[in-house]
Amino acid sequence: MNAEHPSGADLRLQRIERLAACLTRAKEGDLSALDSVVRELNPLLWRVARSQGLSDDDAADAVQTTWLELVRQLAVIHSPLALTSWLVRATKREAWRVNARRRKSANPGHEALDDAPDDAPAPDDRLLTHERDRTLWRHFARLSERCRTLLALVAYAERPDYAAIVEALGMPHGSIGPTRGRCLAKLRAMLLADPEWCAA
Amino acid sequence: MSSDPADLPLDELDEAILQQVRDVSDIVDPPPPDLDDRALFAIGLEAMEFEVARLQEDVTAAGARVSANTRAVTFEADSLTIMATISAVGEGHSRIEGWLAPPGPRRVDLRSTGHDGPSRRVFAEPSGRFVFERVPSGVTQFVVRVEPHGLMVVTSLLLL
Repeated sequence: MNAEHPSGADLRLQRIERLAACLTRAKEGDLSALDSVVRELNPLLWRVARSQGLSDDDAADAVQTTWLELVRQLAVIHSPLALTSWLVRATKREAWRVNARRRKSANPGHEALDDAPDDAPAPDDRLLTHERDRTLWRHFARLSERCRTLLALVAYAERPDYAAIVEALGMPHGSIGPTRGRCLAKLRAMLLADPEWCAA
Repeated sequence: MSSDPADLPLDELDEAILQQVRDVSDIVDPPPPDLDDRALFAIGLEAMEFEVARLQEDVTAAGARVSANTRAVTFEADSLTIMATISAVGEGHSRIEGWLAPPGPRRVDLRSTGHDGPSRRVFAEPSGRFVFERVPSGVTQFVVRVEPHGLMVVTSLLLL
């Protein structure tokens, strides 16, 4: 091990230790210890809520309520790894509630992901100004919706949390991490075959 | 050894691809810029034992979600339902008239990012009615103390 250049494994261990310390402080009543956890995991939870077909407003609502619920349920969360897994599931559950409410009020335009056709288009790329980004997005859009959801969420997670995400999405074990899995293997092959794409 | 690339361990190129997916997702579908602030506000309740009353209905006179003059919201928890009408009163302020069901003279606190200092407090009438005048725009939340057991009911956040 090189102290000046910590390996990925070292960094991952440090992160887990930091999360564990925050969790302990929060359980003891110091909820400000969760501030850094919010900043770290909010982008992932936002992506989870959006992947369930929620609008921006509804996704924000689901994410906020998830943090409220976390505070209530801190006692049942025993490890940093359980924390991410719990948050991802809770966000999915909140999103499900919002979708159920939308269906009840029969408001068109807020269909649940399950009702959406499997080949729903990926978000458009008009906002992408860099050729590299457009190339990536073009190939990403060719993946199945299931693969796009998986990769979009995993992209916001740290590697130890991949398994929790795969499980929360109801995908088979080994979909990603420690191995590459089919979705990423497919995207990687498409990108490598495209001379316009560069990794850096 | 398997020859299937899907079975190979994640390497640096995989990490780079995932980072690009993240970068591009941030551009095409960014979270609201205040998402962190709203989550921190939710945690800032500084209580750990409560029941969450979730938003069940949110309608405006015009049928749009915001920007009409009057808005009606309903929050539901197992032990309490909170209904409120929110009327715009001048620039950047609202009047909130609410009802608790079941009714009772309960303490109602209003947390808001719009005003400094601690939350504002009223006591509902025996009928369950309560009023907050001149509530500033911002992230808002009701906190109701349900007697006799003292259980706290907090609503999900409302953007005024």
